[in-house]
Amino acid sequence: MKVLNTDCRGQVGWPVLGALVLALGLVAGCATAPDPTDREAVAEYQQINDPGEPTNRAVFAVNQVLDKGVLKPAAGMYRDLVPPAVRTGVGNALNNLRSPVILLNDVLQGEMRRAGVTFMRFVINTTIGIGGLGDPASDMGFPYHSEDFGQTLAAWGIGEGPFVMLPVFGPSNPRDAVGLVVDFLVDPLNLWATNTDRQYITYARGVTRAVDERARNYDLLEDLERSSLDFYATIRSLYRQRRTDEISNGWTRENMPGPGVTETPHLKSEEVSQWK
Amino acid sequence: MEVKRFRLGKATAVATAFILATCLAISPASADRGDAARQFIASLADRAIQALTTADTPRAERIRRFRTLFNDHFAVEDIGKWVLGRYWSRATPAEQKEYLRLFEDYIVASYVDRFATYTGERLRITRALAEEGERATVFSEIALPGGGKTPVRVDWRVEGAAGRLKITDLVVEGVSMSTTLRSEFGSIMRRDGGKLDGLFAVLREKTAAIKAAQ
Repeated sequence: MKVLNTDCRGQVGWPVLGALVLALGLVAGCATAPDPTDREAVAEYQQINDPGEPTNRAVFAVNQVLDKGVLKPAAGMYRDLVPPAVRTGVGNALNNLRSPVILLNDVLQGEMRRAGVTFMRFVINTTIGIGGLGDPASDMGFPYHSEDFGQTLAAWGIGEGPFVMLPVFGPSNPRDAVGLVVDFLVDPLNLWATNTDRQYITYARGVTRAVDERARNYDLLEDLERSSLDFYATIRSLYRQRRTDEISNGWTRENMPGPGVTETPHLKSEEVSQWK
Repeated sequence: MEVKRFRLGKATAVATAFILATCLAISPASADRGDAARQFIASLADRAIQALTTADTPRAERIRRFRTLFNDHFAVEDIGKWVLGRYWSRATPAEQKEYLRLFEDYIVASYVDRFATYTGERLRITRALAEEGERATVFSEIALPGGGKTPVRVDWRVEGAAGRLKITDLVVEGVSMSTTLRSEFGSIMRRDGGKLDGLFAVLREKTAAIKAAQ
């Protein structure tokens, strides 16, 4: 279980990208700014960084309807009817098809060692792994990692900007939305499909990817939705935290903000002796 | 130029000596703290396996055991306070008490099953790191069945003097339990204009729904 794959956005064609751009312009319904004299409220407002919250929540509601009506049932059937070995093969193939874009972003971020890993994976898995269906590269010391242009922009020092809920594509921000478009445009398979009038390949791949990612996160999302107090706020927080983690390539920061033990907890002596 | 360079060199040397001295003074203690934190998490994992992973234990009993384990090993009150953020200090003592009770119920209900997974037999502690104050982080990896070739990273944030360690946060693949809860609770509080009644109602409703679903 990858906890929450934020690169779970299928690659769909221009109509959807058009809708995406339109939606970015629609962020007109704004969250009520707090009373400027209430410093805590102002700090909180800035930290949440979601000025278009009412619009974002409306888009989220529509996405939820689409998910419940189309993607979730499809992912459920895919998971229940397709044998695990086949699903693993499909997942491997989708990862392998993304290799050129990952490689490009590795290089743009100056991560030459990781670029080497991505290159070796592509060569090994495309040949020995029979067109990417298998993943022998992982066993040969070349484990999978993902990169995207949103992360590259972050590595170049560009801030994320306010939170944005994109129609169909889900949680994002201006930086990552630009990344999404760039990754789509530079993808060799998409370029080839477009230039040779085979757009159906791009669509098929996008749909497969969406179903595959949704199926992977099926139980996790089910669990989260059932237990979270405000599913929108949960998704917004998870997206940000996962992106930060992905951008740092999982390098955990020290002294992260979090709860602190304000006063020494009062413990009974038998409890203390238990730990010794 | 010559003078400047000399001064710079001297300053650097002094700074280096100072840093070295500080490091030497700190390192034995922080190594101990890291070790203590590592042992603490390892012993928690052992206890959790015994208490939670026995298949034939009735659900009510599992919840009871998890509540004990949770209260013994987590800084429940401190997490609860931090999750409520700025609204904590505005609440009356009676509200604070009720909040902590509902918070504990909610966490116990929503984490009992997840926690059994996090502390299962496939937990492997990779390293421990002493941090500022009495803080430490224990890094671990969990190989989930059917989870592919990459294990899930779980970091345990721990704080306290030796023998009184408590977990303040659980970070799974970069996602902090406390931070996520704080953003949710804050969202409900803002919706209700800073009044706790709405949050209490949602907490009661969710806790009941989670229990009913399992």
